Amino acid sequence: MNATSPILTGALHVHIEQSSPMPLHGSFQCEAGELMALVGPSGAGKTSMLRAIAGLLKPSEGRVTIGDQVWMDTQTGQFIAPQHRHVGLVFQDYALMPHLSAMENVALSLLHLPSSQRKLKAKLWLDHMQLSAEQQLRRPKNLSGGQQQRVAVARALAREPRVLLLDEPFSAVDQMSRQGLYDLLADLRKELHIPIVLVTHDLAEARHLADSMVVMEGGTILQQGTPAHIYRSPRNARVADLVGVQNRFSGMWLGPQSAQDSIDQVGWLQWLNATGTPSEIKLRVRDKGRLLAGQHVTWVIQGDGIHLDEKTHFTTTNPATCLPVNGMVSLESNVVSVRHLGETTLASLSLPSVLGINLRIVRSGPQRQRLSINQPITVMLDCDWVHVMPSK
Amino acid sequence: MDWQSFILSLELAAITLAVLLPLGLWLARWLAKTSFAGKALIEAAVVLPLVLPPTVLGYYLLVSLGADSSIGRWVLQTFDIRLTFNFLGLLIASIIFNIPFMVQPIQRAFEAIPSNLSEAAAVSGLNKWQTFFRVELPLAWPGVLSAVVLTFVHTLGEFGVVLMMGGSIPGETKTIAISIYDRVQAFDLASADQMALTLLLLSIVAVAASFFATARILKARAR
Repeated sequence: MNATSPILTGALHVHIEQSSPMPLHGSFQCEAGELMALVGPSGAGKTSMLRAIAGLLKPSEGRVTIGDQVWMDTQTGQFIAPQHRHVGLVFQDYALMPHLSAMENVALSLLHLPSSQRKLKAKLWLDHMQLSAEQQLRRPKNLSGGQQQRVAVARALAREPRVLLLDEPFSAVDQMSRQGLYDLLADLRKELHIPIVLVTHDLAEARHLADSMVVMEGGTILQQGTPAHIYRSPRNARVADLVGVQNRFSGMWLGPQSAQDSIDQVGWLQWLNATGTPSEIKLRVRDKGRLLAGQHVTWVIQGDGIHLDEKTHFTTTNPATCLPVNGMVSLESNVVSVRHLGETTLASLSLPSVLGINLRIVRSGPQRQRLSINQPITVMLDCDWVHVMPSK
Repeated sequence: MDWQSFILSLELAAITLAVLLPLGLWLARWLAKTSFAGKALIEAAVVLPLVLPPTVLGYYLLVSLGADSSIGRWVLQTFDIRLTFNFLGLLIASIIFNIPFMVQPIQRAFEAIPSNLSEAAAVSGLNKWQTFFRVELPLAWPGVLSAVVLTFVHTLGEFGVVLMMGGSIPGETKTIAISIYDRVQAFDLASADQMALTLLLLSIVAVAASFFATARILKARAR
């Protein structure tokens, strides 16, 4: 049966340049079998990008290819109509035909088959999406949001698409159905060896589900990479903001301070107080040679680079301990807030040596039980996890 | 009862519908789907026959299509066809004064269809005609139905324009509405009564049928 056989296709390459009616700039790619999340605030142009892939929007300049097939190329004037692209597009509000039953909705994308086979095939797809025979005969209005979405996915898959596009598929669905949809998506990925592009503004979701992320704002693609890569080294302060990097600080780039630093390709970063004045803390971090000494920078550190050591208790502030040893910087800190959320705990730590700055940490497991308010604690920052970028 | 006039009226209504329905569908869909600078002007022109006094509309049609007008003279010389005081003239008038009744309900119905349904249809592989017949027309159907009924009933009852453009030639331009007036003038109230009642009942049946049909469509859709 077709519902389970893999549909072979190639990688999706998109490059779009347009300044009006709305700006759209950038390129990205999505391999067959890859799940790519397009993230950004509302109005970032995520849906427009999907529409351009589907052929519903014709950008003024650009090129869209799938495998060795060209869907659009403004240089050669090629443009394949959406009818002939074989795109599976699941609209944000599903866009099901209100006058047709679930089954007729799916059958509508099978018009190339003789009419006797359409309903049969539509039924197979809907069975595959776990809609009961009775539900398949209902009109969209009488199906729940989650069921409507399954119909929309069935309709998209019945097209035997070369690429699956999902526009905010989880936004209108309650938390219960959401888990079911995550599972469904995981199953689909195993079955279909095609690029899957997911538009979402939920970062946790993108991070949780996607192999790669494309960060967009104002119609422009800012960065593409794996979620881990983007969180660890956002290209600029704006990307760090958009993806919600928790520990984002200001600093002054001091550059290499010795011949050894230059050999090791490291530079020194001075942490700034909340007021913008230099603190006593200097970090020795990797230098890619893109920053100038004296430049104001933004830097981030991911949770993986923040270690706690409850055994040490400071009695006095000693800046000497703040110099890095083996790439680790030990800092004295105080727990200022603790929030237990289910199986994880969020804590905020104040740093006496950096005024007005709080470090946010997430802990799970036994370690979180030991976090209590006003408790002095030693924080060790692993400088390998520090990423420095120019301030915008 | 003037059966000749009654049948003439039915014929006029049927042919008006046959000509105006495809035209109206096209114009209404176009107005619903596009937006451009001069759209309000076209929409105003569509509504104009609704707000003009029928005698004024009839007068201008007579003046611009009569044998003395440039259009009328050209058509007479080229095709040997007169455009006034015959069934053809009546039909032209009927089509023009029915434009708002046909176009407006259909336009509203097309406007109410979410635009992403056409996009979903396109992505599903439907071409423009398939999208029209399988998605747009079924969804706009209640509006189309009420446009058809309004046009039909309105054609049966139109008086001023018909009198101006057609005169009152039995079997050619004497519609039932004119016949009623004619009978009243001749103090033949019994015939006038009969015909008025026929027209009243026909109108009630047509309107009621369209309302029931619309309600059924909407009820089925809610199921």
